[in-house]
Amino acid sequence: MHVIVVGCGRVGSEVALSLASTEHDVIVIDRRAEAFRRLGDDFKGATMVGVGFDRDVLTEAGITPTCAVAAVTSGDNSNILIARVARETFGVEHVVARIYDPRRASIYERLGIATVASVAWTSARVLRHLLASETTHDWIDPTAKFTMVERRVPAGSAGMSVASLESASTGRVALFGRFGESSIPSPATLLQEDDVLHVIIPADGETVLDAALKLPEGAR
Amino acid sequence: MVFRRRKQSDDLTVATVCEPLATLISDTQARQRVCVCGKVTRMTARPTAGQPALAVSISDDTGTVTAVWTGRRAIGGITLGRRIAIDGVPVMRGDHLEFTNPGYTLLPR
Amino acid sequence: MKVIIAGAGSVGRYMAGQLQDSGHQVTLIDNDPAIVTQGRATRTPVGVTWCLGDACEVATLTGVGAADADVVAAVTGDDEDNLVVSLLSKQEFAVPRVVARVNNPKNEWMFTDMWGVDVSVSTPHLLTGLVEEAVTVGSFVRLLSLEGGKARLAEVTLASGSPAIAKELTELGLPRESTVVAVLRDGHVVVPRGDTVLHEGDEVLVLVAGGVEDDVRRALVG
Repeated sequence: MHVIVVGCGRVGSEVALSLASTEHDVIVIDRRAEAFRRLGDDFKGATMVGVGFDRDVLTEAGITPTCAVAAVTSGDNSNILIARVARETFGVEHVVARIYDPRRASIYERLGIATVASVAWTSARVLRHLLASETTHDWIDPTAKFTMVERRVPAGSAGMSVASLESASTGRVALFGRFGESSIPSPATLLQEDDVLHVIIPADGETVLDAALKLPEGAR
Repeated sequence: MVFRRRKQSDDLTVATVCEPLATLISDTQARQRVCVCGKVTRMTARPTAGQPALAVSISDDTGTVTAVWTGRRAIGGITLGRRIAIDGVPVMRGDHLEFTNPGYTLLPR
Repeated sequence: MKVIIAGAGSVGRYMAGQLQDSGHQVTLIDNDPAIVTQGRATRTPVGVTWCLGDACEVATLTGVGAADADVVAAVTGDDEDNLVVSLLSKQEFAVPRVVARVNNPKNEWMFTDMWGVDVSVSTPHLLTGLVEEAVTVGSFVRLLSLEGGKARLAEVTLASGSPAIAKELTELGLPRESTVVAVLRDGHVVVPRGDTVLHEGDEVLVLVAGGVEDDVRRALVG
């Protein structure tokens, strides 16, 4: 997959470096060329100086609907612009935006943009949102029999109740986040597109969970 | 969120989706934050200047409002006949109220 | 009217002063403590309420009463900020009229109802239009975009070959989605009526909606 990372700060450069060592190809965009120094001399990806919400810049960076875009500059506003342009103008589905101000996150989540709060910020989390093939374990129990994983509900599972997901996955939804707010779901809660779920499942239960959530095989 | 939180015990708050605190559409006013519940009675694509948008009409027994989601072509679970609650601050458009990118909750059938 | 202006640079302060003079109730928001302190201390513009804060935050907009504001003008020197202020004003506060300034013409395409903008104003664009207007006779010059681009104010100075010369306005065959707003002739404004006859050299100001620009151009330019 072609991944465009906008913003070569600490996290942007970490994400880019992780990606460059996989089979995905990555290009990093930043307004300032000096920022690329963080990538080191051996960086295998591409770089480009430019404004990340400029349509010409994104086109030149090879944006297509099947690529992924991470808006990880130091400004919330820039990140939202980048995310919306990527999604709405270029039809990119895998978009994640870094948001420093959690109060704005809920407003942006209503625009259908996956946001990752600065506090919970790790490059692993960005990668997980972007590629959906990386997995992050929120927690693994000491007996190694159970694990808690995070998933974002795809559009195709909207309307499914928490109860039916739990029974289909033999897991339990511990926490769910919607429009930037978290709460403990009741079994009757109906899942919606882009809800963030933290699910406790048996340690080897990810495939079953993903099937239950109708997440495509291999692109969890 | 459009549903009420019920305290199960002192330190646990559980969301109960079946008791939304909603206002009748006929009682809603422009520019007041409100939650309305109703059925999706119409869905239209409303592209402007090349950008997609989805306009959804929601009706209860007392009236109809429109919710517009900018930059989207579809939202999972929002289909004709679906019961849904929306929460936001509407603007008066002509003779009806319109919400832009409101929060929404899919309701059980 | 209650007007909130985000951005207290020279443009914002000028607007605030003008609007307050016209009897409107104006609040100016800026994030720079030095600007706000000075504004409050010197009490300029006169009568304007100052607010130190980030207009891109819901809390700031709530604090200045966006919930009952009639207009929000996002006129900072930063297009990203102007777009976000506009979106929040429309989405969270249902402000009836949102005006936003475009700093970089390359970003003008975003200043539409996608971001809650009702009217966008691009100084470079306006300047180009005015320059064109000054030097061009016989061309269709766009001056101002309204309603997110759905309507435009345009101007044509009738050249000698124009099909509109010596015709009454009703004979021009202008499409329904357009209207002649004013005719400027010899330094004064002629209020157009159906029987107003156009002359060579008249500056015709026309409001054009939707996709009828070409028809209007044909009627006035040829």
